[in-house]
Amino acid sequence: MAAPSAALTARPTPVRISRNVRMGILAMLWVVAFYALIGPQQVANALTLGAIYALIALGYTMVYGIIELINFAHGDVFMIGAFVAMFLTTNVLGIHGSINDPIRLTVTLVIVFAVTMTATSILGVAIERLAYRPLRHAPRLAPLITAIGVSFILQNVALFLFGPASVNTPQLINPGLHLDLLGASVAYVNIFIFVLAIVLMFALNLFVGRTRLGRAMRSTAQDPQASQLMGVDLNQTIAVTFLIGSALAGAAGVIQGIYLGSAKWDFGFNGGLKAFTAAVLGGIGNTTGAALGGFIIGFLEVAAASKGYGRWSEAIVFSVLIAVLIFRPAGLFGQQIGERA
Amino acid sequence: MKFSKVAVLAATAALVFGACNATTGGKTLKIAIDLPLQGSDKAASDPIVNGVKLAIKEANAAGGLNGYTLTVDPILDDALNGAHDAQTGAKNMQTAVNDSAIGALIGPLNSSVAKAEIPITNKAGLLQCSPANTNEGLTKPQFGALDIRKDNPTKINYVRVVTTDDKQGPAAAQFAISVLKKTKAYVIDDTETFGKGIADNFVKEFGAEGGTVVARDGAPKSTTDYTALLTAAKAKGPDVVYFGGVTATGGGIIRKQMAQVGMADIPYIGPDGIQDGTVETSGTFLNIAGDAAKGSYSSLAAIGDFPAKKDFTDRYVKEYNVNPTGYSATGYACAQVVLEAVKQAVTKGGDNAALRESIRAYAVDPSHTYKTILGDIHFDENGDTSQLIVSFYKAPDPLKGDWVFDSQVDFAKK
Repeated sequence: MAAPSAALTARPTPVRISRNVRMGILAMLWVVAFYALIGPQQVANALTLGAIYALIALGYTMVYGIIELINFAHGDVFMIGAFVAMFLTTNVLGIHGSINDPIRLTVTLVIVFAVTMTATSILGVAIERLAYRPLRHAPRLAPLITAIGVSFILQNVALFLFGPASVNTPQLINPGLHLDLLGASVAYVNIFIFVLAIVLMFALNLFVGRTRLGRAMRSTAQDPQASQLMGVDLNQTIAVTFLIGSALAGAAGVIQGIYLGSAKWDFGFNGGLKAFTAAVLGGIGNTTGAALGGFIIGFLEVAAASKGYGRWSEAIVFSVLIAVLIFRPAGLFGQQIGERA
Repeated sequence: MKFSKVAVLAATAALVFGACNATTGGKTLKIAIDLPLQGSDKAASDPIVNGVKLAIKEANAAGGLNGYTLTVDPILDDALNGAHDAQTGAKNMQTAVNDSAIGALIGPLNSSVAKAEIPITNKAGLLQCSPANTNEGLTKPQFGALDIRKDNPTKINYVRVVTTDDKQGPAAAQFAISVLKKTKAYVIDDTETFGKGIADNFVKEFGAEGGTVVARDGAPKSTTDYTALLTAAKAKGPDVVYFGGVTATGGGIIRKQMAQVGMADIPYIGPDGIQDGTVETSGTFLNIAGDAAKGSYSSLAAIGDFPAKKDFTDRYVKEYNVNPTGYSATGYACAQVVLEAVKQAVTKGGDNAALRESIRAYAVDPSHTYKTILGDIHFDENGDTSQLIVSFYKAPDPLKGDWVFDSQVDFAKK
């Protein structure tokens, strides 16, 4: 009689932790496997590229989780973020190259990230207010087409303001400074990007999991009507979702500019497409999934390029996506936030 | 009395007519230009427009066109939303062929645009001289040119004063091996017709000359992050990098990221598509690559060191207050070809349509030789120039101003 009761009491183990541990182990195994496959230098490249995709993917997945809209304009918010950072550093702060003084560098980075993220979050909220909210009860195709339209508007605004060629962006952190780490010579800028992305993701996780607004977001994702009845302000919650998603896209834009030193009016399309793929791969609506999906795509692309299949990198990424969706239609990590398809 | 009145009237009329003729300088004929005049292409097109205008201006001032005055009109823009566009080029050609006062046309800049334009000008029999198109498929039947001029396959109307990519690519390979003394190449292209084609030509010749291609990649122009490709390439130990493509499809960004992964010391060679203006001009290769541009080379599919260069530069600077860059000399040479053809054609007389046809027929005739600033040239039966010279330019050091002429490879002497 004692044995089954022990089994019963043992059953409700904290599922959340074991799930996170499992994911952590899987992620470690993944990195180690790639470390062996493509070498330490390329792992550093993959983690950096993956961090950018992951930050953009979070915005796609959060918006989809809440209002089931694929916000095609999100990639262009990322692009606008890169241009805001470019304009701020070169035209307002008058900086054209790297900064070697650590204190000045920190101050500049804080200013650039703060201003850019504020600007893109205002942009995101404005897009939601002007383009999506009036269509909230319209058939689903209407906001989708609107999103594509907003994407074109943003692209053309950037084309008009900054011209069709690549625009140089100051690489604030000197890309020539390297640190020897685990057999690779990793640039400080790569380390900075990875650490910053992880910090932002943890902050997002805490916000969604521990705050009132985060709880409102989760409940809205599950059932907007019921949560409204429980006193959740729907419009505010959706606006906050756009605000956070766009701020993260803005951060990704700053990062891209610092890392690669250029911004172009049409690069929101490619970044957006890869990030959207990452969100679907991870399970759209699931923030952890989107983040991991971003890293997975970063690794796949870098692995393809490093093995001489650069021409095929997009085909490889999308083949993996199709294969995953055949066996796991809800994505690798399922839908954590949204319960609806 | 009556009779004399008529005579006076007739005399007056003749006087007035003659005076009119004298003030307008005889009959006029229009020479059209078609080039992309927006965005990053503008930097490459402006020097050509200047070259053409200078040649026409000098010819008008010198007279000797058998009573004709030439005007550069209209200057058509084949760019759409800031980049060259084949359909816009085709539309411009419809405009040009329908304007009977246009005797000949100079342009375009891009081979992809030429491919859409030649069928239209070929059907109408309008002479077109390009100062910059290098794709071999535009003229040579073995590369499919007969499909482009299918309306009049034997009555060609398209000539060019630059040589072709089947020379430009191999020339870069010879330059890498014999001038730079490099034997291990990493080759990357932008996956487009021009870029991949010229990179393939480079690879073939580099192997034939005894070099080894250690890695070969392609990345579409939507690529923003080349670091993974470059890291992998660096591990293979190349001592020279060749890029097939143009600045707009990644030329400058690749060079910039090479510095980032520690390949700044490896020389970088690109085709004419990356030779698009000074360090100070926004959007050019030199501007985008920035400090990393040092050690970069670019080719032009035309002679770089010609006897009349000094004199041409002086006249050009006097007129425009800037140095002639890129394809300004070939623009001037195209205008010289057109001028000579016009001069000969107007002696035959006839209406505008007849004139247009005689200009075309004279210009494309392989037996005619033209004295241009590039040297004496003639065209073969496909409209390609007899001057098979590719020249190489080095990024300026210190980083200021424009590309600097380095050396040239002459295929006619091989």
